[in-house]
Amino acid sequence: MRPVTHRTAGVVLLSLLLVGFLLLGALPNQVSSIRVGGLSVLWWYGGVLAPVIGVLVAIRWLADPLPTPSRDE
Amino acid sequence: MTSVARILAVWLTPAVLLAVPAALAASAPDGLWLGLTVCLVPLVILGLAAGSGAAPADDGRTTDGSLFPVVTLLLAVGVLLWANIALAGDVAVWLGVPRWQGIAVTATLGWLLTAWRPLRRTAPLLLSIALIAAVVPLLQIGWASGLGPIAGWDRVATQPSFRFPPSSLWVTTGRELAAARGRAPLVFDEVHRLTAPAGGVLRARTLDGSRLAEIEWTLSPGQTVTLRAGDELSRSPSLRLRFEADKHVPGAPSSGMAWAEDRPRRWLGRVGLLVTLLVGAAALLRAGLSVRLSRDGVGFVAGGLLAAFVWAQGWTVYSMLHAPDVLLGGITLDRLLELPAPALFAETWRRALQGALLVAALAAFLASSVALRERLGALDPTGGGEIGRDPGLWAGLFGGAALASLWPVDPWGLTLLALGGAGCALGPATLAPPRPGHAALATTAGVVGLIVFATAAAAQVRGAGGGLLGAVVAYPALAGAPAAALVLWLGRGRR
Repeated sequence: MRPVTHRTAGVVLLSLLLVGFLLLGALPNQVSSIRVGGLSVLWWYGGVLAPVIGVLVAIRWLADPLPTPSRDE
Repeated sequence: MTSVARILAVWLTPAVLLAVPAALAASAPDGLWLGLTVCLVPLVILGLAAGSGAAPADDGRTTDGSLFPVVTLLLAVGVLLWANIALAGDVAVWLGVPRWQGIAVTATLGWLLTAWRPLRRTAPLLLSIALIAAVVPLLQIGWASGLGPIAGWDRVATQPSFRFPPSSLWVTTGRELAAARGRAPLVFDEVHRLTAPAGGVLRARTLDGSRLAEIEWTLSPGQTVTLRAGDELSRSPSLRLRFEADKHVPGAPSSGMAWAEDRPRRWLGRVGLLVTLLVGAAALLRAGLSVRLSRDGVGFVAGGLLAAFVWAQGWTVYSMLHAPDVLLGGITLDRLLELPAPALFAETWRRALQGALLVAALAAFLASSVALRERLGALDPTGGGEIGRDPGLWAGLFGGAALASLWPVDPWGLTLLALGGAGCALGPATLAPPRPGHAALATTAGVVGLIVFATAAAAQVRGAGGGLLGAVVAYPALAGAPAAALVLWLGRGRR
């Protein structure tokens, strides 16, 4: 079994952001079409929040760790 | 930084970049889903840890010696070039230039850039030019409109109807009907007077009570025809037509509210798109490569993807606000490279902004060409990247793509075909590689995935229906990728 790494956490969070859009679209009574602050809830999520959070998640969790300096240096 | 630019340039070809605003203009929720997946899927793929199967060497090349990934990616790259060169031809036609000229200029420049050694590391520069040249017209239109993007969205979403603006070329001088190549029928929902400035033959399917009739008019120059609600205009290839200002654009959503609303039961198609892009990104960005990015590198990739999505949203909003006629007969990608709201700018400044848009698209295409060549070269297991440096091969690839582009095709459909095909062949084995020494299993899985994908894709000729079967036909990767994954799983269990 592969160890759970910080990258795995990042991938899971990014996947949840994608799933969130599908779930929001599946909510009954056109909840996703409700307007808040000039935009629909769906647009706030899919066009603003999810991409911005995705970028932050990627920066925080997807980068390769810096190589540890060897003792000789 | 160079690998960051390569990742962005390989993924964000002009066809992908323009597919997002086109989808947003056709239907806000579907476009948002496309934009979100285009933005996040590469990050998911880059985040998945490299497996141990087809282990990449330190220089990034595969060590298993299989030619299957090279041939598959070569075909995928060829189809991607085809899609983007065809798009250049469409743009040329839309802007009133012969199709072959747009194709010849784009294909020649692309080939020169890949063939001339000193120009091969220009992807970062070209991407920067594309970014600046695309952002300037957007900021200008936003400033000239006096509306921020959110206020603009609100105005679009509350439009009672999408109507021809008086300054539209479809209203002032008229355009050839062949340019309206979208998929939506040209059905009128109100009385509409059409004028043929140069005359010609106009065909329409009219509704007389409950009886359908095919009618043909031979019009003299300047003669008009009045169509009624329910009548459908046939797309005559060489007929120039003028539409009436302030009438509903045939093929556009009925209102802003209808555009913004999410239609129920769309999730199967959305999952299909997600799977296609996931496996396609795995094949294009990861197959046979070890991609290691620092925090800055990840930030640049993620920021670049976000910038592209934000641009697409802004461009859609302002296009629909000022030029709802882009929706005539269903939107096509090429129309989004025409500056909306020409009346807002003086002629010189309008030409400069239009030129900037074309420069942005050309720079994005050239960056993609360079990056795709490097991507393929990095996968070459035998020749030390020779396949990426063979001018004859690339001349053939660009020449073939240019010839094929002489016939109009749907660039986004071709892009999905390339991503889905390469994804089903290489994606599953990239994401879950077999153990070292079992490269043949990856090839077998890839061949099975590709065959299943091709079979489902061939069914598209008969048209996609509804339900799961319809989603599989529309997005063949929904069947191809699981088939390849199943072969991998079975093969792993036997050993």
